[in-house]
Amino acid sequence: MYSSEQVLRALEKPALYGPDIDLSKYRIEEPDVGEAREVDQVVVNAASRVGLDSSSLAYVQKNEQALATMMTKLLEKYGVVVLPTREALSRESIARELAWRLVDPAKDKYTAFTYLYGGEVGYFIYVPPGVKVPIPIYTCLSIVSNNVVQTSHNIVYVDEGAEAHLVTGCAISHGVKDGIHIGISEFYVARNAKLTFTMLHAWARGLHVRPRTAVKVGEGGEYVNYYVTYSPVASIQTYPVVYLGRNTRAYLASIIASSEEGVYDVGSRAVLEKPGAAVENVSRVVARDVSETYARAEIEALESDTKGHIECLGLLLSTNAVISSIPVITSRKRGALLSHEAAIGLVAEEEIDYLMSRGFTEEEAKSVLVRGFMNIDAPLPPSIKKQVDYILDMVAKYAVG
Amino acid sequence: MTLELVNLRVCVEDREVIKGVSLRVERGEVHVVVGPNGSGKSTLLSAIMGLRKVKVCGGSIIFEGRDITDMPSYERAKLGIALAHQNPPEIKGVRLLDVMNAMAKKYGCSDCTSLTKTLLVDSFLSRNLFVGFSGGEKKRAELFLLMLQNPELALLDEPDSGVDVESIGMLARAIESLRNRGTRIILVTHTGAIMEKLSRINKVHVLIDGRIVYSDSPDVVLPVIFKLGFKKGLEVLVGGV
Ligand SMILES: Nc1ncnc2c1ncn2[C@@H]1O[C@H](COP(=O)(O)OP(=O)(O)O)[C@@H](O)[C@H]1O
Ligand SMILES: [Mg+2]
Repeated sequence: MYSSEQVLRALEKPALYGPDIDLSKYRIEEPDVGEAREVDQVVVNAASRVGLDSSSLAYVQKNEQALATMMTKLLEKYGVVVLPTREALSRESIARELAWRLVDPAKDKYTAFTYLYGGEVGYFIYVPPGVKVPIPIYTCLSIVSNNVVQTSHNIVYVDEGAEAHLVTGCAISHGVKDGIHIGISEFYVARNAKLTFTMLHAWARGLHVRPRTAVKVGEGGEYVNYYVTYSPVASIQTYPVVYLGRNTRAYLASIIASSEEGVYDVGSRAVLEKPGAAVENVSRVVARDVSETYARAEIEALESDTKGHIECLGLLLSTNAVISSIPVITSRKRGALLSHEAAIGLVAEEEIDYLMSRGFTEEEAKSVLVRGFMNIDAPLPPSIKKQVDYILDMVAKYAVG
Repeated sequence: MTLELVNLRVCVEDREVIKGVSLRVERGEVHVVVGPNGSGKSTLLSAIMGLRKVKVCGGSIIFEGRDITDMPSYERAKLGIALAHQNPPEIKGVRLLDVMNAMAKKYGCSDCTSLTKTLLVDSFLSRNLFVGFSGGEKKRAELFLLMLQNPELALLDEPDSGVDVESIGMLARAIESLRNRGTRIILVTHTGAIMEKLSRINKVHVLIDGRIVYSDSPDVVLPVIFKLGFKKGLEVLVGGV
């Protein structure tokens, strides 16, 4: 499929965006795959940083150790398969057919590294046709040691007419100072299927994060991507791409609370490949300290009768933070309806003054306003919305605190 | 239990808008301030509340024996001062409900539900604060939030402006219930619409160009002012009856 020579050469290839990382500075642990009866206490603690209850987790990854939990047995009842990717690749032919199809291993040094040395750690999830999984599928990835590379190759296939809600928490264990997380995600939403993917993140000061995500949505399918990140980080660079087929819908949302000296290069790209495809690309950035944020968003329409809108809003909480909003819309056929709006501002003094007169301290007032700023009406199921709200409450407090 | 303004001067954007106002409001009293547009009524109430958009540039504000002239508004709120803003800002993403809950945590809320009924705010509790509210809804929501603070001193800035007749009734009932609890009230009104529905107004002050030029009981002031307007009415009042 890929010549290993090509991939080997890509090990030297920096990514298009974000600070370039020397991967040789980090060590990689021996990949390890198995089952877990109980979730390790360090992971329990890390998961709670992003509001996840460890007993609901179906897949847990600690550094390079991939574990399917007892929760998978419950999901099996609905016909849902959750396996460490490495195991799936040896057991399920569909996993082999899907792996490295949407993400090119030779894309950059991070994909190449994962392809060559990652040992196919990560999760594989398959939802059979017509199954509407009534409970969210939770996974959690955590780094518990210093100076390691964590790789994760995730494959999700939601078959025709099925519906699934996936929630992934990535959290760094307390006390971990540096490292790098590389997550490769290849998601397939088949005809008339629906997938929501909620990602909640709490990183660490010296950590670099390089997700590489691609999603393909088949005719009549629906995809929701909801990304939240807070906590300091050395750098994040992610630019997932979503390919949308005929009569599809996608809602791509990023909520970013940037802080300290972190570089946050975050966004998403949608390709409207067939008539009837529609996407909303929404982001909210709240930046403080000396953080640097690049909020990217791109919609490319290859066909007519497609629709796309970008809404990038930024809020500066410090005079030394930088937000750069980069919306791009490209139309290659007449009859594509594309638009964007971007605005960066400060918390409105009039609104602070108002809330203070209602008895809120300045900090409380700001936190209420920041929380409100981050409120977007994402099409998520109520149970996940509740979880997201809980995280956003923390993010708002963190952003002004 | 007194609010006292001592020769208060208030500046907005380096311009003196309130030019020496002295006023005393005792427990249980209702004072009404009338005056033409731009005379400084909102500025006066904003200064008593301690809003940041206005600066006291002379004189002092004494509340229950304490000088609160330099106190930030949220601390005044804790002392029991509350303001129903004339034009509250629209706040996207924050629902009336969110603010209500946050305030209930601060002030406690024994009669929240009866309050929502008195002012009929149920139907817009889950809407973004003041965004797209009608005139009446805005004023009812403002008074609702003010009442959640269970204030000792209520500053009401034109609660009756741009409001439908039904809302006026609700607002008047709510204000009556405030005064029955012994809350001191300073009510600014431009139209006077609400005054007909309120009992026992202690005093009416006429504010013109940042100065209180006349104070007396409502029976004396109101008929003249509302019939003849501020300019002519004052000539009659000051000219001596
Ligand atoms: N934010 C502001 N900036 C500049 N001038 C202001 C501002 N707010 C009020 N003023 C001025 O202060 C004066 C008094 O305004 P205000 O107190 O709102 O009057 P009233 O409430 O009696 O209509 C007016 O001349 C008005 O133009
Ligand atoms: Mg006014």
